[in-house]
Amino acid sequence: MQPKTFAIFMTALILIFVLDLIRRQKMTFKYALSWLVSSLLVLVFAIREDWVRALATWAGFILTSNFIFFLVMLFVLFLSLLLTIYMNEQNSRTEALTQAIAKLDVRMKKLEKEGSKNP
Amino acid sequence: MNPKILVIVPSFNEAASIRHVVEEARTVFPCATLLVINDNSADNTEEEALKSGALVATLPSNLGIGGAMQTGYQIALEEDYDIAVQLDGDGQHDPAFLKTLIAPILENKLDFCIGSRFLDPSSPSFRSTWLRRIGILFFCRLLGLLTGLYLTDPTSGFRAVGKKLIRIFASYYPVDFPEPESIQAAKRLGARIGEVPVLMRERQGGISSIRYLRTFYFMIKVTLAILIDTLKKKN
Repeated sequence: MQPKTFAIFMTALILIFVLDLIRRQKMTFKYALSWLVSSLLVLVFAIREDWVRALATWAGFILTSNFIFFLVMLFVLFLSLLLTIYMNEQNSRTEALTQAIAKLDVRMKKLEKEGSKNP
Repeated sequence: MNPKILVIVPSFNEAASIRHVVEEARTVFPCATLLVINDNSADNTEEEALKSGALVATLPSNLGIGGAMQTGYQIALEEDYDIAVQLDGDGQHDPAFLKTLIAPILENKLDFCIGSRFLDPSSPSFRSTWLRRIGILFFCRLLGLLTGLYLTDPTSGFRAVGKKLIRIFASYYPVDFPEPESIQAAKRLGARIGEVPVLMRERQGGISSIRYLRTFYFMIKVTLAILIDTLKKKN
């Protein structure tokens, strides 16, 4: 198999998989966006390799493969940064929920106390 | 009208000491409301606190001292308290000093009053290990350099705040090891901060959260957090 065909096939597979995850509501569009954009980009580059080569030369890379590895690393780095942000958001929400439950807990205990005093 | 005072007692696995702490606080300071924030303890902290007659808010998951204290400040804000005091559940803080601690706030001299074990050098107060004292000295210098406020005990958790800071701390309170960072945040927001001498005792039960390698994590995390806080907005 030609590397170009293989790249197109693999990227299309990932793209379909992500789209299917969105369709089945296993992944929201917000979280799928980075995957959709990056796989579309890879698909475009796989079809038009001359564009990657031109971009690599413009960025100062002698070997196009090095440029592709660099892009992949950058993508993974960006993704982990994004995941850290999402994790922090989730953490803040969980904390707010925990605190809300604790506040309800103290209010309930107070009412129970008052109720037992004035039945 | 008498000011509404809330004594927040953050507790994590303090079943051995919590009842005594609450009862002692109530004896010396009967006009205050005592609120125990049970930070998802694995022992009988909740039951012991309830037996002591305090209000008890149990967190369904462990948030650490910062999250627990913020919950206390949120309750203080919602129930319109004038002063909120932190009194640790391990018995290190002597409730006899509660009145001393809130006095500068009642007199409208301070917004944030910290109980210091080092302010009176002749006091027989428990002063912690030498390693921690080096850390305390470091934060004294760092906060002094950044805020111009030279405190003697910035890591002390025995502290009282007025209405202005109750509102601020209810919406934002640092997460891990919050004491020095909360001073920097309060100063940035224009609070009047000061210290009063207090006596501290050795913990009556439980285990300190700042041990071994966590001491170094504490130093690095708090230093960075304080430095980053200086970049935040001043209002």
